[in-house]
Amino acid sequence: MGPSPAMEEADLHALVDNEISGEERRRVEDHLAGCPEDAALVEGWRRQNAALRAAFEPVAQERPPLSLRNAAQRNAAAGAPPIESGAIHWGRPSNSTRSMRRFEEESAGRRRARALASTFGALLVGAAIAGAAVFVLTRPGVAPPAAPEPSYVERADLAYHTYVFDPRPVEFDAAQREALLDALRLRLGFARAPDLSSLDLKLLGARVAPGLRGPAGVLIYERGDLSARVALYYEKAESVGFPRLAPRVDQALTAIEWRAAGYEFVLIGPLGPEAMQQAAERAAAEMLTPTLAP
Amino acid sequence: MGDREALFAEVEEATPTLRRYARALCVLAGSIAADDLVQSAIDKAAMAIRERRLRGGEPGAARLCAYHALTSAAREELSGFESAKLSARLPPIAQGLASLPFEERAAILLIALEGFSYDAAAEIAGTRRETLVARLMRARAALSTVDLRPPAPSDGQRRAGGHLRLVK
Repeated sequence: MGPSPAMEEADLHALVDNEISGEERRRVEDHLAGCPEDAALVEGWRRQNAALRAAFEPVAQERPPLSLRNAAQRNAAAGAPPIESGAIHWGRPSNSTRSMRRFEEESAGRRRARALASTFGALLVGAAIAGAAVFVLTRPGVAPPAAPEPSYVERADLAYHTYVFDPRPVEFDAAQREALLDALRLRLGFARAPDLSSLDLKLLGARVAPGLRGPAGVLIYERGDLSARVALYYEKAESVGFPRLAPRVDQALTAIEWRAAGYEFVLIGPLGPEAMQQAAERAAAEMLTPTLAP
Repeated sequence: MGDREALFAEVEEATPTLRRYARALCVLAGSIAADDLVQSAIDKAAMAIRERRLRGGEPGAARLCAYHALTSAAREELSGFESAKLSARLPPIAQGLASLPFEERAAILLIALEGFSYDAAAEIAGTRRETLVARLMRARAALSTVDLRPPAPSDGQRRAGGHLRLVK
């Protein structure tokens, strides 16, 4: 449905995009006050804008990958434009005189001879080291130590036991919700505090904790009768797969893990598997839902 | 700070928002392709500064140059992704965005997400202001069919439950 004939559609877009001001803006606003159809159109476009910002703003808050950090400044320091043809430059073009070139050729010959001798020596030493390494690694009965498989769940378990029963379990109280979200967003690039109150879990607050590969967010919830606390742990999912073996987690706790939008989430607490599953599903649904501006 | 340093600093400051724009523009191609485009855009803007094709006295010139380079590179690189399969986990607005033609997607993102004026967005997209506004209007009309309301809890639970993993 388009705008009413009295008003150009482009004027309505210009209002939404702050392209008009003063008298022109008042004229369009007066029109909207008397035309609910066009007002609904404008409201819909504003909602689209808000949804776009909610969906992609977290990217701007993320810490850029290493390759993009200071990329412009590195370019500034590079001086000459980069070679984009894939050419490899050995040394540099000479602008010396003929006698200098002869001297340089003789010097280059001596350098080549020294380089050959040096290379031969290095090969002999390398062969000796490689032989020794093969002998040590292939000796029977000596197995290389297996690296422990990293697990986000074990890290969540550790965070649970470290913080949940602490006299001051959270850094940011739920009453300071905006500060809490800002702090998590700043450190983790993404923040949301799912509302689990319908499952009788009230948000106490949150803290930033050491994760497996970087900072992790820990949101702590408490049951209405104060009988149990549940933690929602999350951190950016790096190249760590789900563990093949069951992670070592306190037997009194249930842990549920999932991944969404490049993050790993673990809900951990002493509730039964069914209650934990419900809470995890609610948290997962809220984590994926964009927040619309009012 | 000299003019040249100020221009490099401007590109540096724009990196987070360039990534945001690239991620939305590459909604079909993914984050790695988006960051590659940002890298390429920064390199091209830096080259323009070094070759003195940008003037330090024009505020925002380096930022506009980087956005222009990113949009041009994306136009070439993304042609193969138009039929890529979308993740069901993307928010509805991102799914709607993915269904738009490239030029309409760029127009609405430059205006609604990045907050550029119509003139600046037209310069970035390499088109006339009237053309850009027409693309914006088509994009908004197409997105008006997207349901932006958060899913009902039952929908969300059904959707989330599929990828949850009970550990113990």
